[in-house]
Amino acid sequence: MFMTRSEYDRGINTYSPEGRLFQVEYAIEAIKLGSTAIGIQTKEGCVLAVEKRITSPLLEPSSIEKIWKVDEHIGCAVSGLIADARTLVEKARVEALSHWFSYNERMSVESVSQAVSNLAIGYGTTLSRPFGVAMLFAGIDHRKPQLWHMDPSGTFIQFDAKAIGSGSEGAQQSLQEVYHKDFTLKEALKHAVTILKQVMEEKINSINIEIATVTPENMYHLLTPKEVEEVLTLITEK
Amino acid sequence: MGHFDPYDDNGGTVAAIAGQDYVLIASDSRLSTGSTILSRFTPKIYPLSKVTVFACAGFHGDVLTLVKQLEIRMKLYVHEHGEEMSTKAMMALLLPTLYGRRFFPYYVRPIVAGLDREGRGLVASYDPIGTPEFFDYVIQGSAENLVHPFLNNQIGAKKTLSDVPIQAPPELTLEKAVKLLKDSFLAAAERDVYTGDTVTLMAITAKGTETTEYQLRRD
Repeated sequence: MFMTRSEYDRGINTYSPEGRLFQVEYAIEAIKLGSTAIGIQTKEGCVLAVEKRITSPLLEPSSIEKIWKVDEHIGCAVSGLIADARTLVEKARVEALSHWFSYNERMSVESVSQAVSNLAIGYGTTLSRPFGVAMLFAGIDHRKPQLWHMDPSGTFIQFDAKAIGSGSEGAQQSLQEVYHKDFTLKEALKHAVTILKQVMEEKINSINIEIATVTPENMYHLLTPKEVEEVLTLITEK
Repeated sequence: MGHFDPYDDNGGTVAAIAGQDYVLIASDSRLSTGSTILSRFTPKIYPLSKVTVFACAGFHGDVLTLVKQLEIRMKLYVHEHGEEMSTKAMMALLLPTLYGRRFFPYYVRPIVAGLDREGRGLVASYDPIGTPEFFDYVIQGSAENLVHPFLNNQIGAKKTLSDVPIQAPPELTLEKAVKLLKDSFLAAAERDVYTGDTVTLMAITAKGTETTEYQLRRD
């Protein structure tokens, strides 16, 4: 299999004779090595929950960031190469603020995803490889709570619930089983953490996960360790 | 050898009133340069979307260029964001658009008028470099100084500058607003030689847009 690929999987702007872009496909594979991130959209708001891999007891857990604020009304969870993610999040922030500057209104979550996607697919002219990250944009605009997913090919799609990263297959399956259109935010939080717990290798605690919510009342909010603790009691109680 | 003189003042007056559930925009149709009439049939009102219009006095060449720019921005916005730009967004956009020409400004006196997402009237007026003013009624152009005190008296008399309303009170119905602006333009045309011929009144409500025309003095 590798013999047939080897001729066409180097150039980032070269299609294989079967019409495939191997470097993009490899970038999508790279995400499957990343830590798991889950996003859920409800009528009350959106939830983002990610796993942080604490690879050493000497590592300072709060220095690992996988959920970022894009603007007051949008948060972003990532999986894959975090350094690449920073570039894309920077783009999202600049676009959201530029939109605010021109129109004095909040940029829609779809439009932010679109803007980041434009950068993600533009890798060929400026970079040596595609971006190795998948992103979940969760936010509120005048069209209500929204969750959008973007992968290294630049494809962006809206989801009710989506998982990315190493545990994404199992997590996506679980999300499909539990998801309900009438989820409250609390239920979404509970399910996100429950599923994260199932797919994580380490034992879940308030240090090795990160949770953010985006609601019409509080907009983007990254939960403090104490608040994460409270969410975790939701799943340990029963 | 004439020196570089890129501006002209083509006269004309535009005004707008924001109501609780309507917005009313008015413009005369005269275009002049000095004491010469260039056109009697050019109302300076330009719809930008179903709920937003632009009205503008000043140098007509700059007005037409600015309108084209705003039309392009509206179209691009629809392509990029999948819906029409709101009245509020268009009001915000005009600021950087005008300020971008801070040192070679468009010689314009613009008004943006329309309905917000809840169907309430909104109006804003600008100076040539983009400073916006939000009020329940605005007037710009050659008869501005004649008509403004009249509107202050009829609509804004009891208001202070620290309590600026964005919509006229419910008592000012669309019918009354139409009468008020019609009278304003009739009076303006009597005294201001740069305002006249016809007045076009465009009313936007949740039901749609209705345009009426009345004759003014043609001398």
